[in-house]
Amino acid sequence: MIDVRNLEKIFRGRGETVRAVDDVSTAVARGEVVVVIGPSGSGKSTFLRCLNGLESFDRGHVVIDGMDLADRRVDINRVRREVGMVFQQFNLFPHKTVLENITLAQMVVRGRKPAEAVEKGRKLLKKVGISQKEGEYPNRLSGGQQQRVAIARALAMDPKIMLFDEPTSALDPEMVGEVLEVMKQLAREGMTMVVVTHEMGFAREVADRVLFMDAGKLVEEGTPEQIFSDPKEERTRLFLSQVL
Amino acid sequence: MTSNRHKVLWQLLLAFILLTVAAGMWGATKRIDYTWRWERVPQYFLYLGEELHKAPFDGRVTAVAPRGKKASVQVSDETGEVFAVEIDAPSLAVAVGDELFEGDLLGSTSSWKAGPLARGLWTTIWISFLSGIFGLLLGLVTGLCRIAKNPALRGLAVLYVEVVRGTPLLVQIFIFYFFVGTVLNLDRIVAGVAALAIFAGAYVAEIVRAGIQSIPRGQMEAARSLGMSVPQAMIHIILPQAFKRTLPPLAGQFISLIKDSSLVSIIAITDLTKAGREVIGSSFATFEIWFVVAALYLMVTSVLSQAVFWMERRLAVSD
Repeated sequence: MIDVRNLEKIFRGRGETVRAVDDVSTAVARGEVVVVIGPSGSGKSTFLRCLNGLESFDRGHVVIDGMDLADRRVDINRVRREVGMVFQQFNLFPHKTVLENITLAQMVVRGRKPAEAVEKGRKLLKKVGISQKEGEYPNRLSGGQQQRVAIARALAMDPKIMLFDEPTSALDPEMVGEVLEVMKQLAREGMTMVVVTHEMGFAREVADRVLFMDAGKLVEEGTPEQIFSDPKEERTRLFLSQVL
Repeated sequence: MTSNRHKVLWQLLLAFILLTVAAGMWGATKRIDYTWRWERVPQYFLYLGEELHKAPFDGRVTAVAPRGKKASVQVSDETGEVFAVEIDAPSLAVAVGDELFEGDLLGSTSSWKAGPLARGLWTTIWISFLSGIFGLLLGLVTGLCRIAKNPALRGLAVLYVEVVRGTPLLVQIFIFYFFVGTVLNLDRIVAGVAALAIFAGAYVAEIVRAGIQSIPRGQMEAARSLGMSVPQAMIHIILPQAFKRTLPPLAGQFISLIKDSSLVSIIAITDLTKAGREVIGSSFATFEIWFVVAALYLMVTSVLSQAVFWMERRLAVSD
């Protein structure tokens, strides 16, 4: 489903260059849930953003469902239709109601009829548990509700892959659970997911595989049991001892 | 309670200051021996215009039929040609059987006509409106070019904005009228509107650019991540939000535009300012007319700012 080979992303600032993603290679199979962990600034968000072309990269290949993002002939908008993304800051459209947030791209990008988009939108709102808020503007919702709307918005495009960029980091602690619950349900339904998160409990419970990144490098990958209880690398051990 | 008392006190002070200013102005005009003639002003808004009706050929009055306040007069000549006209009854100057020569007065009609100040106000309004629309379009396109990735578009946009903002509008109007207008054979109105639109466009471009850049990056990223192209994201996500934020500065810009439009009077477009100058020439009520002209500009700009205020409130539902 996702094939990443020798991915390299360099940020060039004034006089200094940062290798944000440094020669990362990995693959994600259909239906697999991969959780990316690592200290802040380790390049895990940048890595994730490379997967749907929000971040361009300098070297290597990212192949999504057979389409190589490094290939100039590939239409990035076609790739993105297949890859949903959920952001740390939700990024809901503040000038649209909850339902409009979910129907807009369906109509504009997928060309669905309004009635069809609304039906789909209502179904997804029910799924994430906020049907009664469909006419509200996002600023009237709590963070947890906003994030669930954002998940519904991404799902409305019928993506084959869902990317989560620290989806619970901006939430008040009491709202983390409701968002994680929706994500767990998605995982159970067999969605292919790549999740950047600091929620180690979620990683342990839901992930099929855990990637540990540090300083742009993919240091170690393995099953949650192996990574959390028996990390091979010293850096992984150090990081886990700080967060667990 | 105390804060209320204080408020009343301050309002009294405000009234006192305003009264002092008014009294000062009155006293000042007394000293220079100016006679205010406000009664001369209204006729330059609306006046009863008289139209004379004359016999079109030599002939005889064959019929005069009074009909209330009007009277219809019929004139015929030997060949049987008939001319009929309706005139105001009190002005009737002929009777049945009168022999007439071509050009003899039959009577007159009068009707209300817009005076020069009203016509000038109208010219100011539509010139401002037209140049506002073009300025908005120009500014929108330039603003988008200003943030485009393409260096040629960006360079052009920067050059345009810098040149226009760095030169006086009056000079731009002259250049448009004398140079561009001559080369392209433009009408003075077209030259005036174009100069104003291009002037406003440069400022609108900066407002649009700032408005777009004030929208968090995440909005564009969210739209793009849903598979929208850049134009789709602009149309559906960025511009509607940017519009809301730019409404107050845009309104300020259009209010400036209405005021700046007074400069086109310099290329002999009879807008409100030029109409005021002409009216002063015939009425000699210099002070009164300039005050009236100022009040008219103020009226137009306040209507605009009220309209924008109303729009802002309507758009604020999603805040």
